[in-house]
Amino acid sequence: MLTINNLSAGYGKVQVLHGISIDVPKGKVVTLIGSNGAGKTTTMRAISGMIAPTGGDISLNGKRIEGKESYDIAKLGLAHSPEGRRVFATMTVTDNLILGAFPRLTGSRPKGDVAADLDRALDLFPRLKERRTQLAGTLSGGEQQMLAMARATMLNPDVVLLDEPSMGLAPILVTEVFKIIERLKSQGVTMLLVEQFAAAALAVADYGYVLENGRISVHGPAAKLRDDPAVKAAYLGGGGH
Amino acid sequence: MKRSHLLLAVIGIAALALFPVGFHNPYYIHLVETIMIYAIVLFGLDIVVGYTGQVSLGHAGLFGVGAYTVGVLVFKLGASIWLTVPAAILITAGFGALLALPALRVSGPYLAMVTLAFGTIIQILINEMSFLTEGPLGIKLEKPELFGHKLDDREFYWVVLVLMVLALIVVHRILRSHLGRAFEALRGSPVASDCMGVSVYRYKVYAFVISAGFAGLAGNLYAYSEQYISPNTYNFELTVLFLLAVIMGGRKSRIGSLVGATIIVLLPKLLDDIEMFRYVSVALAVLVAVSAVVGIRRGKSTAQQMAIPVVGTLLLAGLSFKLQSMTDWRLSIFGVITLFVVYYLQDGIVGFVRNALNLKQTSVADQQAAIGVVKGDAVGTAAGANAAPELLKASGVLMQFGGLKALNNVDLVIKRGSIHGLIGPNGSGKSTMMNVLTGIYQPTAGSVAFAGQSVVGRTSSDIALSGIARTFQNVQLFGEMTALQNVQVGLHHTFASNLLDVALRTPRYKRESAHAASRALGLLQFVGLSDLAFEEARNLPYGKQRLLEIARALALDPQLLLLDEPAAGLTAPDIKELIAIIRKIREHGVTLILIEHHMDVVMNLCDTVSVLDFGQKIAEGKPAQVQADEKVIEAYLGGTVAE
Repeated sequence: MLTINNLSAGYGKVQVLHGISIDVPKGKVVTLIGSNGAGKTTTMRAISGMIAPTGGDISLNGKRIEGKESYDIAKLGLAHSPEGRRVFATMTVTDNLILGAFPRLTGSRPKGDVAADLDRALDLFPRLKERRTQLAGTLSGGEQQMLAMARATMLNPDVVLLDEPSMGLAPILVTEVFKIIERLKSQGVTMLLVEQFAAAALAVADYGYVLENGRISVHGPAAKLRDDPAVKAAYLGGGGH
Repeated sequence: MKRSHLLLAVIGIAALALFPVGFHNPYYIHLVETIMIYAIVLFGLDIVVGYTGQVSLGHAGLFGVGAYTVGVLVFKLGASIWLTVPAAILITAGFGALLALPALRVSGPYLAMVTLAFGTIIQILINEMSFLTEGPLGIKLEKPELFGHKLDDREFYWVVLVLMVLALIVVHRILRSHLGRAFEALRGSPVASDCMGVSVYRYKVYAFVISAGFAGLAGNLYAYSEQYISPNTYNFELTVLFLLAVIMGGRKSRIGSLVGATIIVLLPKLLDDIEMFRYVSVALAVLVAVSAVVGIRRGKSTAQQMAIPVVGTLLLAGLSFKLQSMTDWRLSIFGVITLFVVYYLQDGIVGFVRNALNLKQTSVADQQAAIGVVKGDAVGTAAGANAAPELLKASGVLMQFGGLKALNNVDLVIKRGSIHGLIGPNGSGKSTMMNVLTGIYQPTAGSVAFAGQSVVGRTSSDIALSGIARTFQNVQLFGEMTALQNVQVGLHHTFASNLLDVALRTPRYKRESAHAASRALGLLQFVGLSDLAFEEARNLPYGKQRLLEIARALALDPQLLLLDEPAAGLTAPDIKELIAIIRKIREHGVTLILIEHHMDVVMNLCDTVSVLDFGQKIAEGKPAQVQADEKVIEAYLGGTVAE
């Protein structure tokens, strides 16, 4: 579904990614773990076209997308729920969600039933349903995070990138977010997940990649990574709560 | 300053100084003189536009105030240049303070409109106040006398040159100092500036005042240079030209100001002369084509990106040979060139050249060595260790937004030297509490006392200076500044030097500046970021940005440090480091309030934990107690936690 081959990227003079390759098969959840500054978010941003890669190629459904503009990549079926939420603060929850379906409304993607999907998204996140007429900027951090995830699903995407969906959330909501990821997975949504709670991420994922200083150091089935002593020591030890 | 830069500067100044010796044509001498005068305005304008990030369309008006100060003083009193120069600077600086007032309330397009109105009003006033300014007739004056000798054109040129170089040095020193950093911090994040003790209010006014002072000096020289002043000169067109010059030349750069001044003076002249225009447009087309080829080869740009500029300049060159006379096309071509520059060279010409040449920077190790880490402990020991055990006491705090009570009758007592956890569901009022404690919000009711003094009603910068430092949930760094500079802004309070100290580089300023730099590096080392000291803050990964915020907050030498979700987005090993850092901070006698969702961090560090839910305190006590509390589990912790 999403294949990344030998990708390099960076900001200005700083090279962050040094040729990484990742494969996200259809219907699977793949997680990317690594410490701060390893390049997880940079990878996500390069995939969704928020920064231009300096090398390598990325293909989505067999189509090359590297170097394309974000809005074109979205039209091809990739949704990005960015780190730090980034909801449209002065618009209502419902409007935020409908905007997520924008390429469907303009005909760049198959339209389907947007209204039904809106209901489905709101059912998935009952808290958002309660607040659907509220301005997104007035939501709490956790609700904004849910909105960003719900908005990503509104594209009817082939692949969803989830960058730190549990960041800054109360423990009770962290559990909630992972339940939602679980539910999306069961609906067959393909996901690439970056998470601070590596253990929880590996629990929900099918496959995992460990990123170290912009290079993939280890990868394998998630269950195997969870039992890998090196990964355990570096990323899983005492990381939960 | 690097030796090569110094050499270039000396060559440049020497060339300018020798120019009238080589060229006797008064027209060209006057042209270069005008460029230098405009450059002085632009140095000042760049402070406001480039550094503080405000828009000013009032600078032509200020320029006019400077010119008319001279005109009136000479016309009415026959004053000498010794009086008119300081008078023009001071009076215009006063007008600059007036112009700053709207900037304190509005920003963006609104500020542009208000400053535009300011410029227009000045022009109208000059026109109408005939008793002082001779109105539309204008004022004639002669070149000034210096030491009893009346200056001729060439000698006055040298006076302008000397003053321009002086202005350049002074402005450069200001912008490299703590004042310049304060200006830049305003642009990066006003909230964070205030919370670092850099009053947004005060430094916005300073920026406009200093900027106006330069405009006044330039206006003064302009009056002598033209020997005739009239109200029409200081119009909207001139103000737009000034702004364009800063953008085209490249903001935050003195060379950019010089380049910009050259363009706005020469370009209109150039477009008068068809022969000259042909040469220049061909040269431009060749230049663009060559840089396009280089750019594509180096993989810095694609053929698509470069197609429009290359074709555009080629067309322009072709057009120049087709045209018989320029007069009809002048304005259109000027407009097209302007559009081109603004669209393609967003960092200005200087920024473009810097990028294209990919100027090599000195290695991090060398730069670190040049500064030197402070000897001893970079983290200050908190003051007042033996004072009363209650450092902070908030009682009955109510914070109401419309009908919503974000904080409802909250009491909070923080013991000196403790780590106090503040937890609760998202939206329960934790960050609101932080904002009340740091003066960003004024509570609707209730009292907050810090070290025995009330905090309510005081400004954020005042509270920060009294010893409360903080980090932000949504990182508020000064993005365009380096990590080191960010921390140096936090050290602003360690400077006693004033503008004069900075301009003259007095020993006091040098001492304070060197100490601040090495201490900033020491603080970066403390949080483990010294290798990234010279990286722009916006390029750091999220977790490192959070650490940088902690270093910056520590620079305030706080008694109380508020950390708002420091572990958000950190993975397990990073969290371990963070815990160690927070412990070390406490060892320096600093009291901490910690908002955090990672329960392992909270349980590990906190002496006391308060829990908020819907703006009310629902539990308080030792971590283990709180963790077992039914209400807390229901509202916040949940049954089984993701692991």
